[in-house]
Amino acid sequence: MLTAMRVFASRLLGSFRRQRFDAGIEEEFQSHLQMLADRFVSQGMTKAEALRAAKQQFGGVAQVEEELRERSGLAFLASLWQDLRYGLRMLRKSPGFAAVVILTLGLGIGANTAIFSVVDAVMLRPLPFQKPNQLVVVWHTPPQKSFPGVHRFVVSPANYLDWSRQNDVFTAMSAIGFNRANLTGMTQPESVQQRLVSYDFFSMLGVLPIAGRTFTATDDQPGHGNVAILNWAFCQGHFGAATNALGKIIHLDDKAYTVIGVMPPSFDFPFQTRLWTPLAWTDKESAVRDDHNYIVIARMKPGVDEAKAQADMTTISRRLAQQYPTDDAGWGALVVPLRDLVAGSIGPALLVLFGAVGFVLLIACANVANLLLTKALGRDREMAIRAALGASRKRIARQVLSETALVSVAGGIVAVLLARFVVAAIGTFIAGQLPLSIEIGLNGWVLAFTFAICVLTAIIAGVAPAWHLTKTNLNESLKQSSGKTSPDSRGRRARNSLVASEVALSLVLLVGAGLAIETLYLLRQVNPGTDPHNVLTVPLAISQKRYPAVSQQTNFFQQTLQRVRVLPGVVDAAAADSLPLTDGSTQPVQVEGQPPEAMADQPEVAVRVISPGYFSAMHIPIIQGRDFTDADKAGAESVVLVSESFARRFWPHENPIGRHVGLTFSPGPPRTVIGVVGDVKLNGLDVTQPVQTVYSAMLQNDISTLMTLVVRTATPPTSLTSAITGAVHQVDPQVPVTGVLTMDDIVDQSLSQQQLNMTLLAIFGGLALLLAAIGIYGVQAYAVRHRVREIGIRLALGAQPRDVLRQIIGQGLFLTGIGICGGLVVAIGLTRLMASQLYGVSATDPLTLAGVVVVLTLVALAACYIPARRAMKVDPTVALRYE
Amino acid sequence: MIEVKSQVFQGTLDLMVLKTLDALGPLHGYGIARRIEQLSDQLLRLNEGTVYASLLRLAQKGWIRSEWGTSESNRRARFYSISTAGRRQLAREAENWERFTGVIGKILQMQTGG
Repeated sequence: MLTAMRVFASRLLGSFRRQRFDAGIEEEFQSHLQMLADRFVSQGMTKAEALRAAKQQFGGVAQVEEELRERSGLAFLASLWQDLRYGLRMLRKSPGFAAVVILTLGLGIGANTAIFSVVDAVMLRPLPFQKPNQLVVVWHTPPQKSFPGVHRFVVSPANYLDWSRQNDVFTAMSAIGFNRANLTGMTQPESVQQRLVSYDFFSMLGVLPIAGRTFTATDDQPGHGNVAILNWAFCQGHFGAATNALGKIIHLDDKAYTVIGVMPPSFDFPFQTRLWTPLAWTDKESAVRDDHNYIVIARMKPGVDEAKAQADMTTISRRLAQQYPTDDAGWGALVVPLRDLVAGSIGPALLVLFGAVGFVLLIACANVANLLLTKALGRDREMAIRAALGASRKRIARQVLSETALVSVAGGIVAVLLARFVVAAIGTFIAGQLPLSIEIGLNGWVLAFTFAICVLTAIIAGVAPAWHLTKTNLNESLKQSSGKTSPDSRGRRARNSLVASEVALSLVLLVGAGLAIETLYLLRQVNPGTDPHNVLTVPLAISQKRYPAVSQQTNFFQQTLQRVRVLPGVVDAAAADSLPLTDGSTQPVQVEGQPPEAMADQPEVAVRVISPGYFSAMHIPIIQGRDFTDADKAGAESVVLVSESFARRFWPHENPIGRHVGLTFSPGPPRTVIGVVGDVKLNGLDVTQPVQTVYSAMLQNDISTLMTLVVRTATPPTSLTSAITGAVHQVDPQVPVTGVLTMDDIVDQSLSQQQLNMTLLAIFGGLALLLAAIGIYGVQAYAVRHRVREIGIRLALGAQPRDVLRQIIGQGLFLTGIGICGGLVVAIGLTRLMASQLYGVSATDPLTLAGVVVVLTLVALAACYIPARRAMKVDPTVALRYE
Repeated sequence: MIEVKSQVFQGTLDLMVLKTLDALGPLHGYGIARRIEQLSDQLLRLNEGTVYASLLRLAQKGWIRSEWGTSESNRRARFYSISTAGRRQLAREAENWERFTGVIGKILQMQTGG
């Protein structure tokens, strides 16, 4: 055993010491021969005779040298090295060819690397918490009657507390509340993302602060919650080093908080948190069961799996529904892994894209295989000679594969360079949508994946040429190079089937791209119910501490609006508690004419709090009745407007004006309907169901601390940002003005997923089309080049150049046709997988399919045209002269 | 004549070379070939170059070492000498052979015994 290892080791070393070894042997043999010759000379031979006899006695010098050489190294390595060097030389001889092949592979592999790195970061890599598989999100599942189609809802404090006390599957549970707080006391007022969490939030995740401490149970008690933990980036920006921040006082919504800890860099869970404070619910807040505002996460006990946790939560929910029928009837619980938060929104789209790039790679491989096959066929004489000299089929195949390997590796390097760039772009794009800061980049796994793809590519692309060359008929190839047995006929079937499959694959991709483009186009055509152009949105938040009374709050907004309305360039201004296409609140309502019901059974509708002038600023049509005026204030009759779909649902044959609606969460008598307005797409442009909405007056609402101004402008909206900021600060300089967006921006943001889909699919589709075109062109050009004689004969015999053109183009189109048919079959089967990403078009939309077929045919036509023209121009006399 | 390519022959040749180096000290390839010629009484007609294949095998197994030096006729040549591991291998081979002949002896005796 040991001896065998030693032999292997010395052979391994020997393969690297080639030259020295060879020189040594030569000298040694020469000495030996001389000594033998000397002996013969001393026996009486002449010098010449002696040398000859010596050589005879020694045996074949060259043969022994060869044997020694083989023995001294690892034969496998030596011949592999030889193959690689030869392959390199071949590629260097045709740099254009090499460049095309490497670039093609680089693009195909690069696209895969880029998408895989996103898939890896979002779906595969374990979350940066301790034992992340035990972490889950516990959603509320609302009754389908009130919330049709919604399966994940946030949780109320009382329910959360009961879940937390009654379960025996979780070691810890934490509620998370979201607030956009006003930070004051720094150089300028600022709006920050604040999260209110249970005291054991950090220990449950297993994250330690880099400075200070996390919350204790005492911090979470009512009256104690005035401590804060900072996110690292926030700390850096405001205090510098972490230790500087500890002990400092900051003011959030005009309440003082002491900084007690700083989190490590890149921890901002969930959703770009800037600072965490304890929930510290008062007894009153803890008892709220019907208002749902918190996300709940939990850690499962060791040995507990999701099914067990789900069963336990379902039991608890049923119990609560029985105990509190008014608030909890029909409400259940849903346990999903924490990863769900990360992968949920992007997951399906990502998988579609992953499939798409896989296709691109296959097409690239087919193209490269074709190119290599074509090149290899030109070398069949060389291969025949090799075979005649004793090269085994395996050796020949290996030689071809090593060329493919070289090219794949080079392609892989190009791919990694390209992918870095693309990945950075995608990363910035989706960073805002992810709940965690995940670094999307080329890490070890991604590079290993790229390497695996390179190997796969080498095999796929190399199989066709390798297989073909080893089938070479020695005799035939060694005869004349061209002539009767034209090489064209040999590889033709392989080449043609490769091209046809390229066409099929690119058709599938193009259909996907076409569907994505149409989806985006149709979505942009959707009438959102308002006119989003030239509207600036300005979110403003004031603290209850400084504006304790409702009248003070509404006064602030009224004064701000007054000042904004008189700014030059402002056409109209109003305020609303949330905007279309962003999240807003819903409430159960009691509608006049409907039988009185328990809250759990009441219909749930969208409720918006607005100032007078909102509808005219947003260009929402008032179909019946009137808008709010300043006279509709506290103390006057409570009034509301409703959306058309609301009126149609509850009072289909009656006049809604004068009817009454009770808002279950807003105390007071039922409100009178004074107007009906057009439906607005509050929940998204792709939601086809109209959103039933009730609009309530700001002056008649119980709290208004967070409102967004909507300002219709005559000039481009952003030009007025500083003027509006000035106006706000005239009323109260402590209120931060951040996050100013135009309504058009908000529309774009709501379509970002579809935009990403479309951009990437279009790029991949374009790539596929380009590759297929190159493939078709290559095949036809090769065919023409090798049938010059045949074409020459035809032309000499009286065929018109036009006929030749038609023949070549016809053949190319026939090939394309086969590919298109195959592609259609696959497309119809596969595109249903992306149905969830589509709007307004079915996955098998015939118009899209027809359109793609037309585009592919035209491109194929163009690709055939150039070689066909060349065929046309063949001079028969010249062609016939070549043998 | 004994076939040159057989494994048995290769092993036997290796053993002869090893023993030669053990008995006669450092030798170059030519010297080893001469000795083997003498020992085998001209029966082994091998091409002298074969010796070098044997020397390579032995060197790879670590049983001999080599060094460049000058021959009697003032030529540069590579001299081979046995190593400690080589001596150990020789002892092992000798032991094996003794055991082998012992067993054969006993069997043969058995036959005659009846």
